[in-house]
Amino acid sequence: MSRLLLALLLACAVSAHADDVRDLQWSELIPEGAPPPPPPMAMHDMSQLADALAAETGPAAAQQSPAAPVVEALDGQMVKLPGYIVPLDMTEEGRVIEFLLVPYFGACIHVPPPPSNQIVHATSELGVRVEALYEPFWIEGPLRVEHASSELAEAGYRMQAQKIYPYELQ
Amino acid sequence: MYLLRLALASLNNRRFTALLTVFAIALSVCLLLAVERVRNETRASFASTISGTDLVVGARSGSVNLLLYSVFRIGNATNNIRWDSYQRFAEHPRVAWAIPISLGDSHRGYRVMGTSTAYFEHYRYGRKQPLLLAEGRAFESDPFEVVLGAEVASALGYKLDDSIVLAHGVARVSLVQHDDKPFRVVGVLQRTGTPVDRTLHISLAGMEALHVDWQNGMPARGAGRVDAEQARALDLQPQQITAVLLGLNSKIATFTLQREINQYRGEPLLAILPGVALQELWSLMGTAEKALFVVSLFVVLTGLIGMLTAILTSLNERRREMAILRSVGARPWHIAALLIIEAFGLALAGTLLGLALLYIGIAIAQSPLQSLYGLYLPLAWPSAYEWGLLGAILLAALLMGSVPAWRAYRQSLADGLSIRL
Repeated sequence: MSRLLLALLLACAVSAHADDVRDLQWSELIPEGAPPPPPPMAMHDMSQLADALAAETGPAAAQQSPAAPVVEALDGQMVKLPGYIVPLDMTEEGRVIEFLLVPYFGACIHVPPPPSNQIVHATSELGVRVEALYEPFWIEGPLRVEHASSELAEAGYRMQAQKIYPYELQ
Repeated sequence: MYLLRLALASLNNRRFTALLTVFAIALSVCLLLAVERVRNETRASFASTISGTDLVVGARSGSVNLLLYSVFRIGNATNNIRWDSYQRFAEHPRVAWAIPISLGDSHRGYRVMGTSTAYFEHYRYGRKQPLLLAEGRAFESDPFEVVLGAEVASALGYKLDDSIVLAHGVARVSLVQHDDKPFRVVGVLQRTGTPVDRTLHISLAGMEALHVDWQNGMPARGAGRVDAEQARALDLQPQQITAVLLGLNSKIATFTLQREINQYRGEPLLAILPGVALQELWSLMGTAEKALFVVSLFVVLTGLIGMLTAILTSLNERRREMAILRSVGARPWHIAALLIIEAFGLALAGTLLGLALLYIGIAIAQSPLQSLYGLYLPLAWPSAYEWGLLGAILLAALLMGSVPAWRAYRQSLADGLSIRL
């Protein structure tokens, strides 16, 4: 009987713990009042693609808001977030211990890279073995919001990832 | 215990076949483990070579190509980049530090790299370990100073204050030497286990001085020659370099700066994230690695099947042996156990001999591998994964041993002492 109770308690604890971790969407990383991006221009004549791309890319520094606004309320929350891992640093065994998590895979060269509020700079003690860059992962841990303290520092999200596991389609 | 003794005695009776079987298994095990070792160590040495560098910038080519020639000194650069492009991005507000790299010359097969003192300050390998000097100091204002990697110093026996001559091009034996401008060894780096060990580091000014009197792609002759003293007096500002390693203030800005560099209008440049390029390299190598692994697995399987064949063929001629054993009181399961022990014993001996062969091979090949390919194979204990592989081989041998064991069991039930062979 007592064993059953214990099991029940444990189950409660586990589910309560699961509730603590917030399932975050990438869109929730952009503050409500943030100015919407300019609408993409419709283009039907593909012969002008090169011109259009050249015009869009223009002088590269001005193309996006590197210091995009962040959602302060997320600071310190336990969240889990799906995304693709862009490895920055790895151990000798090839486990990635520092990476950028981004919402889409690959450097699509037709559009600018994601703004800084769509990138999570994550570190992990144990690391994760990334077999292919196009495999999505869940990462789970406390989210930290960094402020743009100066002109040079980027505002953005950081996470000390506690759990990293492959994303599976439901 | 007596079963084991009997099995060994029986094997001893057929020692030539048994030895051959053991040897076949040993070779296959050795091959399997060697493939695993080389695969793991290549990955480890690649992964530990660069750390903390956010972007590698070079002339536009492929990301893997750029990574290979700038960081691993494998292959050659497609083109140089201009000095003013380097300056522009070195002074970029998002950039914390920049290491210029200039390649193309060599010394007895070891690459010569022109760089700045930022290299000794900011370059990191392994787990963010800095480069340390074993002796001497980094190069300073004099252009004709060289800092050696550990492997270069030990393999060629150079000491501080030695004078060395660099060669044009990257061939092991070079016909064109920069012999009018000798370099003085001022420092030797500590061993890192990375391509840094196999590199000679000189200043960018030194690299420029080497080539200052080259005209139309060949060294100047006669009065056109500029000797070391004259070169020192010249303006040795480099006009071009091969690649740049960049460290950023904030990693979140990596993509922004990467795009800015890739779209730089001044000249076609390529910026890559080393981690991503490494991953691409691995997925390229992964197919070949898997193929090698599968081949070596099949070789092991062939070895084990060879053992099975040997035991099965011996079974018929051993029917009398079995019958005698039965007549002195052995039970049918004793006979079966005898054969399983035999198979397992052969596999175990093969595995152990294979391990021994592997370690002997590593001990012999270690230093040539290191100096030829920069691949360091440590004489380490088998990893958990390797133990697992060995365990799987022994298990497979046990399973295979149960086939002749079953047959012998059946026969020993049916046969009497009066078998006609």
